[in-house]
Amino acid sequence: MGESRLKEFEPEILAFACHYCAYAAADLAGSMRLQYPTNVKIIKIPCSGKIDIIYILKALEAGADGILVAG
Amino acid sequence: MITAVRKPLNEIIEMVAPYEKILVTGCGTCVTIDYSGGAKEAAILASQLRIARRLGGKKLETLEQTVERQCEWEFVKEFTDHAAECQAIISMACGAGIQTVAAAFPDKPVFPGVNTRFVGMPQKQGVWEERCICCGNCVLHLTGGLCPFARCAKTLLNGPCEGSQDGKCEVNRELDCVWQQIYDILKEKGRLADLQKIFPLRDWSTGEDGGYRITVREDMML
Repeated sequence: MGESRLKEFEPEILAFACHYCAYAAADLAGSMRLQYPTNVKIIKIPCSGKIDIIYILKALEAGADGILVAG
Repeated sequence: MITAVRKPLNEIIEMVAPYEKILVTGCGTCVTIDYSGGAKEAAILASQLRIARRLGGKKLETLEQTVERQCEWEFVKEFTDHAAECQAIISMACGAGIQTVAAAFPDKPVFPGVNTRFVGMPQKQGVWEERCICCGNCVLHLTGGLCPFARCAKTLLNGPCEGSQDGKCEVNRELDCVWQQIYDILKEKGRLADLQKIFPLRDWSTGEDGGYRITVREDMML
């Protein structure tokens, strides 16, 4: 990847957020009209303990460049 | 249970390199319990292989299927439809399962997805220990329920040897000396007299040294 393309590269980030904390925080951020980049997509999960390696692999296969597990 | 560990990914990638559509098969019994070759591990391997192939600029199609036990014809037959669609099969079962699949689908190359380790048990979460070498002539009633063949590096029947120190094995100081354990447990149970017996020379013909073993139960035959 050339330097110019690298500068343009905007990674697609998939965030798995725990229903009880991180997702609630994201929800509050929304209520407060705080902005975050559109290339971060959030999926609510019942608990970060629900995360499984296969979810991460399938997200990468589907085109995600990075995964955030927040909980 | 039979325990196994997943083969390194690069080894599997290399094995299936010539094929564009493969069936990744899991086994629902022992290797599911030890997290090496069940439905979940089959899905993970299939995904890893697809990603690796895509990184190399090529395409890989996978099917996944897990049956109750791969070491029985009746269950392995369930792979028939998926196998017909694929060029090759990866079996994530133990060696017995892999061979059953290979025999059931002689026209397909069958690759092992795991390395089979031993007959053992989960000692604690994430740790499995060998317990049985399938010698065909059990002596556990004489040795306090501890197998001197599976758990002694020298498979001694009249141990311990002089290499036993501080309850540890001289071959590997991380391992407990099973003969020390046998002594301790028999002492605790008041059965030390059992150790006074000299075991005669053992007949190992019931073990693996006489070629592969076959059990025949005429009363069970149809």
